[in-house]
Amino acid sequence: MSEADPTTIGSTAPGHYGSASTALFLREATIATAWNVHGDAGSASLRAEVQRIARLVLPMAANTTSKGEGVTALWLGPQSWLLVAADAAALGDFAGARDAVNAAGGALFDVSASRIAYAVDGAPAAAIMAAGCPLDFHPRHFGAGQCRQSLYGRVPALFYRHREPPDCTMLVARSFAHDVWRSLCTAAAPCGYTVRAAAPFG
Amino acid sequence: MTQSHRLAAGGIVDRSRTLDFSFDGAAYQGHPGDMLASALLANGVHLVGRSFKYHRPRGIVTAGADEPNALVQLARGARTEPNTRATQQELYQGLAAASQNRWPSLRFDVGALNDVLSPLFPAGFYYKTFMWPPGPRWWLKYEHAIRRAAGLGHAPRNPDPDHYQHRHAHCDVLVIGGGPAGLAAAQSAARCGARVILCDENAAFGGSVRGAADAIDGAPPASWIAACVDQLAANGDVTLLPRTTAFGYYDQNLVGLIERVADHLPEPPPFTPRQRLWHVRAGIVVLASGALERGIAYAGNDLPGTMLAGAAQAYVSRYGVKPGTRAVIFANNDSAYGAALQLHNAGVTVAAIADARPQAALFGDHPQRARADGIPILPGSAIVRAHGRLRVAGVDLVSLGGGAARRIDCDLVCVSGGWNPAVHLYSQSRGKLRYDDALATFLPDVAPQAIVAAGAANGKFDLGAILSDGHAAGFVAAARAGFAAPARHAAPAADAVSTGPLLPLWSVPARRGAKCFVDWQNDVTVADVALAAREGYRSVEHLKRYTTLGMGTDQGKTGNIVGLALLAAELGVAIPRVGTTTFRPPYTPVTLGTLAGHEAGADLEPTRHSAMHDWHVEHGARMLNAGLWKRPHSYPRPGESEDDAANREAKNVRNRVGLVDVSTLGKIELQGRDVAEFLNRVYINRWDTLAVGRCRYGVMLRDDGMVFDDGTTSRLSATHYLMTTTTLNAVNVMQHLEYLLQVEWPELDVFATSVTEQWAAAALSGPMARKVLATVVSIDVSNAAFPFLAVGDCELAAGKARIPARLFRMSYSGELAYEIHVPVTHGRAMWEAVMAAGEPFGIMAYGTEAMSTLRIEKGHVVVGPEADGRTTADDLGMGKLVSSAKSCIGKPLLARPALTSPDRWQLVGLTAIDGMIPRGGKLVADPGQAAPIPMLGHVSSWCWSPNLDASIGLALLERGRARHGETLWAVSPLADARVRVRVGPPCFIDPEGERLRV
Repeated sequence: MSEADPTTIGSTAPGHYGSASTALFLREATIATAWNVHGDAGSASLRAEVQRIARLVLPMAANTTSKGEGVTALWLGPQSWLLVAADAAALGDFAGARDAVNAAGGALFDVSASRIAYAVDGAPAAAIMAAGCPLDFHPRHFGAGQCRQSLYGRVPALFYRHREPPDCTMLVARSFAHDVWRSLCTAAAPCGYTVRAAAPFG
Repeated sequence: MTQSHRLAAGGIVDRSRTLDFSFDGAAYQGHPGDMLASALLANGVHLVGRSFKYHRPRGIVTAGADEPNALVQLARGARTEPNTRATQQELYQGLAAASQNRWPSLRFDVGALNDVLSPLFPAGFYYKTFMWPPGPRWWLKYEHAIRRAAGLGHAPRNPDPDHYQHRHAHCDVLVIGGGPAGLAAAQSAARCGARVILCDENAAFGGSVRGAADAIDGAPPASWIAACVDQLAANGDVTLLPRTTAFGYYDQNLVGLIERVADHLPEPPPFTPRQRLWHVRAGIVVLASGALERGIAYAGNDLPGTMLAGAAQAYVSRYGVKPGTRAVIFANNDSAYGAALQLHNAGVTVAAIADARPQAALFGDHPQRARADGIPILPGSAIVRAHGRLRVAGVDLVSLGGGAARRIDCDLVCVSGGWNPAVHLYSQSRGKLRYDDALATFLPDVAPQAIVAAGAANGKFDLGAILSDGHAAGFVAAARAGFAAPARHAAPAADAVSTGPLLPLWSVPARRGAKCFVDWQNDVTVADVALAAREGYRSVEHLKRYTTLGMGTDQGKTGNIVGLALLAAELGVAIPRVGTTTFRPPYTPVTLGTLAGHEAGADLEPTRHSAMHDWHVEHGARMLNAGLWKRPHSYPRPGESEDDAANREAKNVRNRVGLVDVSTLGKIELQGRDVAEFLNRVYINRWDTLAVGRCRYGVMLRDDGMVFDDGTTSRLSATHYLMTTTTLNAVNVMQHLEYLLQVEWPELDVFATSVTEQWAAAALSGPMARKVLATVVSIDVSNAAFPFLAVGDCELAAGKARIPARLFRMSYSGELAYEIHVPVTHGRAMWEAVMAAGEPFGIMAYGTEAMSTLRIEKGHVVVGPEADGRTTADDLGMGKLVSSAKSCIGKPLLARPALTSPDRWQLVGLTAIDGMIPRGGKLVADPGQAAPIPMLGHVSSWCWSPNLDASIGLALLERGRARHGETLWAVSPLADARVRVRVGPPCFIDPEGERLRV
């Protein structure tokens, strides 16, 4: 772990970087499956279909999430949710699920590879988030289990409090991954950070 | 080097450690806790600069952000910074500073000739003197000379070696200023449970009471400050930001702070930004920014050794420095007596206190104490003139009641004309100010945003009043942010001090020609203000621009109120009627690097990489920007030019096979029962006839009928479609579709989502494409099984792995071609598998340049060059695509006469008869005819075609389709080029499309 060159800010190799402190941990949170559900939130048939497929109840309140067995549903909009699973087995066959959701009046898009997730854990996490994002990451305003959409730097990002603050997971479009990772590392370098091996999302 | 003027004790400096520094090459010493200014004064250095216009010798006037004179150049190599306020620059080991605007030296400055010639340089002289001869040519010469003669420091010339950070922050209460009022406010707001940010421009909190002798809650201020700061620091919901200036106040209580993270160090430690820009969104702001002292204008009031009284007091109490040995105090209020007592106690001889007020007004506690200490007080008198050259040597005192002047020798003059609350941020917040006659200054009044002023910023000048005002403001702010106050909590207390009234006094009349300065930094005198008034500049805003009053880097913090009071007197109106100039950010100058943050150089904007990006780079691709994307232009081999590489790649596609990364194309998936109907409405052609497993080319129009975007849409299942868009319009098309679905046609059962990021895509093109593909995919790709415009899912073998892939038989190059889409995470594996499979067939990767050549050879239009927002589908030769069986967006307006005119510019192909078609060429019939030569059209795309061995292009040409076979000229006056071109159809290769259907 300690063999990484601490001056190579932006490397994804596990190790310690930046200043000597070790209160901050960065890692990729791996996603096996991510499906984008669209549809009328009021439709009982759609909700039932999603419950059958993902074994969870879609969150109806803005910026909230819900959890099933190995699947997390994040609210993206009044008609849009993101189902995320770290294990491919948790959500099963896409085409069948899509046809079923289509039949229930909704839509299901496979976006499994679209986003990359980074978990930012440790006491300075909120400050690292605040280096690039104008959202309020105070626990009173953004608690565990909630999600928000905003920017990190100039890149659109989805933030998810996967557990109690200050820890936070950030999802960004994969084409921006190298840029966002470097921004995170640059923001974290003054306080020092440890890159950990990738681990499952959630 | 001894610190000749350092007191043995007192202040917040650490005498146990010594710091070496230099000023204009001379070596000095100071202590941690010193500012550069206090360290210079400790060494007896008062002369620190030359003034902007007259090059007059100038000394340190203030002890803070208001400093107009002591601006120095910090020499730090590439980190050099001009106009650094010596009063705010913390001393560090090895600091090297230099004075500005002087040559050859600070003591002997040739530019001081300006002072002698000053009758030539009245206010606005450059508007008057340099208007002849007329015309800009001469003015530009004058301006050059004027700029060399006047000015401040030098901007750095080398790239900035530091980095800067931005930080967003939210709080319930933002307290600006960590003096007694700010600390008390932060404390009471934090007690209520509010989230508090407390910022102060100094390294240590405490403001005016740092090092002071007063008592707070019966203890020295230092222990109260320490207890307060400890308590706040222990609260997880309090953020303390020392060395941080609130410089700008914006809408919705957004306040900009600059944190000087490393300016107090020789250079930033590793990984540490030099400065940090905080974007603070505050529920409510407590403005505890204190007050700034103002001077009184008299002849020679700018001689080094002249200081504001509060500054002199601060140098003694805060830094343990004697700013002189024999002082004269000139005041119109009680505060200067505090300075007099402090100087007296420090062993400075206070030769006299010239107080403009009558004896009857001198009943306050401090005047009485001064009298008891035996300091001579001269009521009803004023300084009329100061003597000295590089340092004040004496002053002439007169009685305001009349009589002869009397000279008193001194090396220090301390002036106090009263105090101006630092209302800059209050005013920036659009808060209104009111004029207070008793204090003769402007105070905060009402504000549309959530801001309350406290302490001296609110016109409270007695320490006890300051503390209780801050304490109350903290509770008020917390309550307005929704936090209830605890049952009972007393304000910190200080002894009450009885104070006499202030007598407004702005200037002392001087003999003609003597300079009485109002604005030290920009050399604006009382006479300049009078001249401006005489010449009709009656508005304070005009006065400012005509005389440059308040336009220096100090923004007139010491001189503005004096200047507008003098203008009011000249105009014979009350001061509030003249009003203040508009306060604008920044409060103190802000380094541009901090505003840029990380967004500089290669990080100016974010970049997008495809899954194959690293492969391209590893294989020598020259990358170029396409929007935010990085795309390979070409893959030059060692010794090969980019153009030669692109030609080789384009030829290889026609002859063998090539692979190009098209991941950047916009991809939008659509699902629902009504997708076909939706597509019918957004595309010009028909979509209800598209079968599952087939794709089709489509063109979208804007409402006005002009081409908006083009691409393909594939039907993946009965209810599931995939649309591709151009790279640059990916977001625009998505927004367009979302708008239509949410606003125009919410009744349609269609859902759309962008899947651009989901799929890595590559186009495999060339006569060998099928052979290559057949070796890696799991399905039959023969022409019968997978004909032109077929779509299907398959598996692609990448080594032992089987990658899920989607295959499209479509062609942009005009050759037999397939697009292969795989999830982004498999992009590189797919690319490498296809490249490996193609090796026996001579496959080459090709970049955007070859791709462009291939499409020009085929006459395919591109959004931008051909679909330039002024062209219809018919102009581009695609009129037949517009379905007559249905309507679509833009179609109704296609019937406008102007859009059906035969004279429209239409797409044609050009072949150069001799030479190369010039970039951006214009098409004319005869370049030799007399100007103006009618322009018949323009070249929209051009390239060297390695497959035709010709310079070819696409053009938009008036009645173009009727001109096939004509010879015209492509001319470029910019490139001085004229080339004969033959007009023909836009498609140069395989117009029947046989190659792509094989």
